Amino acid sequence: MTGARRDSCDVAVIGAGMAGMATALFAAERGLSCIQVGNPGGILFASGLLDLFGVHPVAERRLWRSPYAAIAALAREQSDHPLARIDASSIRTAFEIFVAALGAAGLRYAPLGDRNRSVLTSIGTIKTTFGVPLSMVAGVDALEARPPCLLVDFRGLREFNARQIAESLGHRWPDLRHRRIEFPGTEAAPELYAAHLARALESRQTRERTIALVKPLLGDALAVGFPAVLGLARASEVHAAFEAGLEMPVFEIPTMPTSVPGLRLLGALETAVSARGVRRRHQASVRALAFDREAGTAALDVEGVPGVERVVARAVVLATGRFTGRGLTADRGQVRESILGIPVLQPASREAWHQRDFLDPSGHAVNRAGLAIDDAWRPLDADGKPVWPRLFAVGSILAHQDWMRSKCGSGLAISTAWAAMEQVARQLRGTGAG
Amino acid sequence: MKYALFLGCKIPSALPAYEASSRAVLAHFGVTLVDLEFNCCGYPARNFNRYAFAAAAARNLALAERAGLDILTPCMCCFGTLRHAIRFLGEDAELRSRVSEALAAEGYAWSGKTEVEHLLTVLARKIGVDSLAAAVRSPRTGLRVAAQYGCHALRPGNVTRFDNPMAPTMFETLIRAAGATPVDWPRRLDCCGDPLHQANTPLSGRMTRAKIADALESGAEVICTACPHCHLRFDAVQAGSSDASIRTLLYTQLLGLAMGLPADFLGL
Amino acid sequence: MSPALFQTALYASLALCSLGLVWRVSAWFRVRIGPDARTVALSQRVAALLRGGALALFSRRVFQLAGAVFLDLLLQRRLFANEKLRWLGHLLILTGFTLLLLMHALAAIVTAKLFQGYQPTLDPYLFLRNLSGAMVITGVGLLLFGRWRRQTGLPQARRPMDMAFVALLGFVLVSGFLLEAHKIASPRAFYRMSDQFIGSTDAGRLTPLRAVWASEFGVAFDDLKLPIDPRLLEQGRELHRSACASCHTKPVSAFVSYPMARVLAPVTDLLDTGRADAWLLYLHVFACFLGLAVLPFTLMFHLVAVPISLLVNAAAPNRDFSLAGRASRRALALDACVRCGICDLHCSVAPLARYLGNLGLLPAHKLQATAALAGGRLLGCEDVALRAADGAFLCTDCGRCTAHCPVGLDLEDLWEAGRGDLAAAGLPSPAQWVQAHPALAWAESLERGPAEHVDSGPDDLLAPLSADRRSFSRCVQCQTCTNVCPVVAHSMDSNHGIDLTPQKVMNLLRLGLRDLTLGSRMVWDCATCYQCQENCPAGVRVADIMCELRALGVRRLGAVRSLRESS
Repeated sequence: MTGARRDSCDVAVIGAGMAGMATALFAAERGLSCIQVGNPGGILFASGLLDLFGVHPVAERRLWRSPYAAIAALAREQSDHPLARIDASSIRTAFEIFVAALGAAGLRYAPLGDRNRSVLTSIGTIKTTFGVPLSMVAGVDALEARPPCLLVDFRGLREFNARQIAESLGHRWPDLRHRRIEFPGTEAAPELYAAHLARALESRQTRERTIALVKPLLGDALAVGFPAVLGLARASEVHAAFEAGLEMPVFEIPTMPTSVPGLRLLGALETAVSARGVRRRHQASVRALAFDREAGTAALDVEGVPGVERVVARAVVLATGRFTGRGLTADRGQVRESILGIPVLQPASREAWHQRDFLDPSGHAVNRAGLAIDDAWRPLDADGKPVWPRLFAVGSILAHQDWMRSKCGSGLAISTAWAAMEQVARQLRGTGAG
Repeated sequence: MKYALFLGCKIPSALPAYEASSRAVLAHFGVTLVDLEFNCCGYPARNFNRYAFAAAAARNLALAERAGLDILTPCMCCFGTLRHAIRFLGEDAELRSRVSEALAAEGYAWSGKTEVEHLLTVLARKIGVDSLAAAVRSPRTGLRVAAQYGCHALRPGNVTRFDNPMAPTMFETLIRAAGATPVDWPRRLDCCGDPLHQANTPLSGRMTRAKIADALESGAEVICTACPHCHLRFDAVQAGSSDASIRTLLYTQLLGLAMGLPADFLGL
Repeated sequence: MSPALFQTALYASLALCSLGLVWRVSAWFRVRIGPDARTVALSQRVAALLRGGALALFSRRVFQLAGAVFLDLLLQRRLFANEKLRWLGHLLILTGFTLLLLMHALAAIVTAKLFQGYQPTLDPYLFLRNLSGAMVITGVGLLLFGRWRRQTGLPQARRPMDMAFVALLGFVLVSGFLLEAHKIASPRAFYRMSDQFIGSTDAGRLTPLRAVWASEFGVAFDDLKLPIDPRLLEQGRELHRSACASCHTKPVSAFVSYPMARVLAPVTDLLDTGRADAWLLYLHVFACFLGLAVLPFTLMFHLVAVPISLLVNAAAPNRDFSLAGRASRRALALDACVRCGICDLHCSVAPLARYLGNLGLLPAHKLQATAALAGGRLLGCEDVALRAADGAFLCTDCGRCTAHCPVGLDLEDLWEAGRGDLAAAGLPSPAQWVQAHPALAWAESLERGPAEHVDSGPDDLLAPLSADRRSFSRCVQCQTCTNVCPVVAHSMDSNHGIDLTPQKVMNLLRLGLRDLTLGSRMVWDCATCYQCQENCPAGVRVADIMCELRALGVRRLGAVRSLRESS
């Protein structure tokens, strides 16, 4: 059939999770032409909150107020952690550029600052994070000051229960109240979905009807919390309209994935890379990757449809993630890197993968498995040499980190993407163009 | 540049202005259009019988291949359908052989050479936005235009390869080339409702009206379309309604006006 | 033939023809096609015609009417644009037939009044009659040839009555030529004439004249010795000039009958003995009368319906008709269609008809089904009705049939009306008949249905994705598809919400419960906007699967449809 489609670029990014999107974004910011392959994947499951680094050491579950102080401590104790390889100013720059790009694409964040913040979750727990969307920041303030506050939920939206949150926090926040309302125009619907409410609220009429329903319930409340359904593409306007209409701070609480904040983040990132000319290959995967050492190029066989597309790139960044992102695969005996079979740093045997106790606070050895890299973010082969001079790896596929327990997923993705892209640019300058 | 013009079923009977304006605009850029007697793209049969759908689409591809031409279609549904058929035929050997048999019975064959382009992909990528902008004599300055992307051209992106399916920019770029101002509207990538018009008229109507309301609320003066189905759906829903309405304009009409082509050439 | 018999037969067939015409024409006001047509009374329809006709005649539309008569009716420009060969054939038949009718059949009241000294055996009438007959035969031949040459591989629509009429027409022409040929060659006819005009039947006395008629007029005397003496001929010519020449020119100009006469010469004696002149005349005349009597019920009724249809079109500006007008026009269209099949050739979904093996998609066949449905004859045969419904709802309304129709019928209007009638008769589009019952009810029917009926043919080609676990096993039930689905979103404010969400459909597939999805609202209300598929983090082809489930549903649920609907 229509076989030999070809395309070429400076940087091919494999993966479209947070690390892949950040890499593509930074590549484009540096003026490099970029083709990016991958499904929406992980971003849909994100909460919109951008963690940087929250917990260290993992075994002690110690929470840090300052992510930068935590990273400094990490660097002293565990220098092979990917974040320990990056200086604080680079991380700051990476986050600023990333958040600015999201803001330009319609997803605005509160100024980042230097400190982690505490955010209320939809199950009534408190989460430590770094970057907070503007629509959620009033919740951070409210959680701190604990003024009289109303939480509103909607009948039929099963993933968000205001009563549950209020009850689990009641002992610490006695003035936290909850009310349930009928979302306008959904009287006959047995079940509601967050994204649909979010889009419905983008219509002025629905918005005004909703505000009118909430207003009489406010009582002495000084802030109002909603499930994160206040607009999707127009989140900023919808949030602003709610604050204006209710005449007080309004905040969103992220719901369970797939959540509206996840969809917003996906939309904003896709918009950001698309506006910067990144050529995206959606619902496609890299079937084969080969290097032409003489020409200094890599050839990717992108399995999309129809047929296979050959992409020739001068540099390649692996941002394929771990097991759920299918960057790593585990078989009976060992963990493998999925595309090239690059050696994965891992425990010697399967018995050593996990602790005896699944909930062991220090985590499991297999969670720290991943690719070993050199100082230029290049994965290493069995001999400890770069697999290819311009093959780089970023994000959670890297070894020596346990992002879930460290609360550093976005931090790892954004920071390593930035640091690696510096190396990519340097390497490409070395080869001439770029 | 030379293409076989695939008008599909809707344009000649229900929206001749689209044909007229497409021909006028494309002729200006030296695109030769060849008329072949194509059959239905196959879309209605997708919900009925996959083989018949693929064979009908492949017959069109074979007709173009025999003429040694690629296909240009102004219809987004035809575009997506033909691209889908190429996918199905590519991934399913049994389907391909049955379709080949059916084509051979009529003396046709399709080897996979035919490319399928949409009018907008030709304008944006083959002719180029710069050439379009250079041809503009009376730019539509200040006209606030909402681009209607059209599902079947946009998604799935790996099949249609039209633009980034999550965050497309092509249509807005084309609108800017005509000197007008594209409007960002939340529902710009939503379905116009047309595919459900027969099967579930009330649902279809709600979908169309939500889009129209959104375009108006976003400050658009015009919804710009590049598909007869979307275009006619907007017009049909507004025709029988007392709600606030918005003008619809085909992209070829917008560009043609900006290029200073006479209105009656554009079916206006 | 006795004049009394002739007259009786003529008036009888004329009466039958008139009754037939009245009945057929009244159908234009009686037959109801389309649900909207049921709301209009007969009187309204008649009034609409009268009003429309009056408006057209007494306004500037009258020029349009005149143009239509000239261009569409006489010159047949629409046919010319479509098929030159057919146009030629049709024009030959029309001209030839008209000439024969006026100059030959109605000679006594038309030609004889217009041209002094008219005699059928004089040129140019002799020649013209042969020419007219030859034109009709050639025309019919061209039409049949055109039909045969059009090897589409699909049968063409036809009615047995039409083919019988063509045969009858052929018979009239052939018998006419045979009759003329026989009369040229017949000595018996010669003696009858000589008796009348010379007062003699004596062969010896008439020998000079016979010599002339044998050598120059093709009479097949078997007792004349050849070669003929030139002096004898000279004598005969004298007699011929005085007695015969005023009514007879040499029959060589009868370029069909004369050669036939020469061929018949050897058996002329035999034919004379058998009184062939009499029975050929009977056959010829009675075939004509038969044709006349049944004319309103044959293809030839289009001679009435087509001109009226063309005039009606020309009378209404922009084909803008009132409901009453449209209702009559649809009924008229059924009669004006000549089953030429040009629509089938250009039909956009004709290839689908071939691939699905369903002629019900083709316009000419569809028109017959529409007529049958209006006449209450379709629903009797379930199979045909179901295929007609399938065909009607796969039509894309591309309008090519209308654009190419040589008689200018508004077929799209007819199709839309027909779909309404089908739906009213319990044969709506698949989306409608499936959604008439809940998904669970369908699943039960599938379970109860006879297995061989339900599992006809493999699903793999029809629905390979939904038959293959790998295509949905990666689904993690994350609800992304549901969250981005506009159909679910727009069903929030409705009492007719969807039953399953896309993610639940995928889950049923994962659980091996595909039959439960086939009748679900979600599957049938899917707008194929592909948001689900594009956004799926697991790469599941959700929308492609939805399309497949519909195709599978049409077949599997179609097989148990009667079971379901009778319960």
